[in-house]
Amino acid sequence: MSYKIMPKSALNDWVQHLRQKFTIVAPKPKHGQFVFGEVTDASEFALDYPSTVLPPKKYLVPTQEELLSYSLDGSHFEMRTEPVPTVVLGVHTCDLHGIKLLDRIFSQGYTDTHYKTRRNSLYLVSYECFEPCTEHSFCRSMGTLSATDTFDLHIINLGEDFAFEIGTQKGESLLEGFQSIFNVTEVDIERINTVHQEKWQRFPYRLDFDVTELAELLTNSYTSTYWDELGDICLGCGMCTQVCPTCYCFDIHDEVDLTLDGGHRVRTWDSCQIRMFATVAGGHNFRAEQAARQRHRFMRKGKYQEDAYGLVGCTGCGRCAQACLVDITPVKTFNELYKRRNNIAEKETEAK
Amino acid sequence: MAQYERYIRPKVAFFDFTSCEGCQLTVLDSLQTSPELLDMIEIVEFREAMSERSNEYQIAFVEGSCTRPADEERLKTIRSTASLVIALGACAHLGGINAIKNLRPLPEVRADVYGDKADWYDTYAARPISAVIDIDGFIPGCPIDRDEFIRVVKMLLQGRQPIIPDHPLCIECKLKENVCLYLRGKICLGPIVRAGCGAICPTYGDGCEGCRGLITNPNLDSMKMVLEEHGLSFEEVEQKLSMFMAYQTAGIKSEAEGATS
Repeated sequence: MSYKIMPKSALNDWVQHLRQKFTIVAPKPKHGQFVFGEVTDASEFALDYPSTVLPPKKYLVPTQEELLSYSLDGSHFEMRTEPVPTVVLGVHTCDLHGIKLLDRIFSQGYTDTHYKTRRNSLYLVSYECFEPCTEHSFCRSMGTLSATDTFDLHIINLGEDFAFEIGTQKGESLLEGFQSIFNVTEVDIERINTVHQEKWQRFPYRLDFDVTELAELLTNSYTSTYWDELGDICLGCGMCTQVCPTCYCFDIHDEVDLTLDGGHRVRTWDSCQIRMFATVAGGHNFRAEQAARQRHRFMRKGKYQEDAYGLVGCTGCGRCAQACLVDITPVKTFNELYKRRNNIAEKETEAK
Repeated sequence: MAQYERYIRPKVAFFDFTSCEGCQLTVLDSLQTSPELLDMIEIVEFREAMSERSNEYQIAFVEGSCTRPADEERLKTIRSTASLVIALGACAHLGGINAIKNLRPLPEVRADVYGDKADWYDTYAARPISAVIDIDGFIPGCPIDRDEFIRVVKMLLQGRQPIIPDHPLCIECKLKENVCLYLRGKICLGPIVRAGCGAICPTYGDGCEGCRGLITNPNLDSMKMVLEEHGLSFEEVEQKLSMFMAYQTAGIKSEAEGATS
């Protein structure tokens, strides 16, 4: 683990230094919240921000992406992948865990070329959280409160200075040639250790059980009536999946030119919460009820993704909880299922 | 065009019923931004833009709702002439704001509008054109979205069923990375209303009023609860849901009443 130190006062100079080679995106204020967007000056963004409307996954799987263009007579066929080298500044550790999962999803088995190309040109500069970002976050319960090995550079706020933890050569290259970068001293290391130790007590556990029990809990809750209760109140608006850092389902359609000469193949985000998602030929829908769609969503987050990729699908970022207008949240859902399962278990014991 | 030399441009006609003709204006607008459309279709009747008329056309775009007995005959003629009939905009698709009048007794509404001449006019409850004739597709919105109009025409020319989104506006609004209006102290019908407009109203800070109509199977009870939690009275909720969707929500109500009786 190697560190470098930069005085905070040099942040804007560093941004200008990076701009010579990269597009810089960072959390920018928007109507009382924050969104990742392009910045040209340090005054335009905040590193101490609560959360963003969409996670940085939008730089890996754009909301709408042209995959290829073609001519209808078959004479022309071109894959479109020309990502601009981009530095994402201020990625929270929960979102790092989200990207780690996306990396596995898009590379395991069939490698998604578009994702891979974008991923290679993305430089992730994460930022250590010292306070819960919103009332909805529950990163500590999900084990995402520490940086994972996905980052290129990781920033730790030391008051007057920023410490950079260097994760990769890509990350190291972001500091090369910049004047105000200093070697770390023993005092700095002590400061880094202190802020790390002190932060944990500020983050409460919000799940009533250990996350390692989550997958089994969901398996045992598959037939719970709680899903019907969620189905009754769920608006089916799909905001939960849109803002989720690990939801990646997409749809692909062809946009044929008006002149019928050629067309473009476009990938857009999709959502398992909408009625058409599981509708197949003949109009059959294998998740026709909203209850089944909500159950599917929570099974994905708490079990299926872990089964398939070895990482829990929920990062505890709290975005879906904040977005939901009828207060369907992972914390409430998982705790309620846990409570009900325990009640059933108690009754079974009593019956014996 | 090379490989489609034998392509015969289909004849297209535009018709209007009770409406403001704003959707036809949007069509005119889209012809200016996509003039290549005129290489692919032949417009034979379009009162908003030309004097010529025709009794021969393959595709009819119909704007406006049916609000008089005489409208029914005209709609049936259009239906029997055209191979494809497409409802153009909220009035034709949903009954539109015209259907607000359906919520009050008809004589009262007529007296309000026409005063002592009320008897001269045979207007009745406003309905979408699909209540009178079969339609092959619709382009929602008040007014229609010009890009969606082009997309629908393209799909028709390709012999495809026009694909109109049937998912809630929230999906599209989040793609625009808008901060939810509910978090900004406003209200919005996004969760139950059909997407496809690019969430234009929420993007500019106004809540969705529902001009594109309800999605299939909307959770109306839950939506009403949310609206009331955010400060709307029962009457205000009903008003909110009936600006563009009076005909649709009335249909859902009578279905529910039928189910309980």
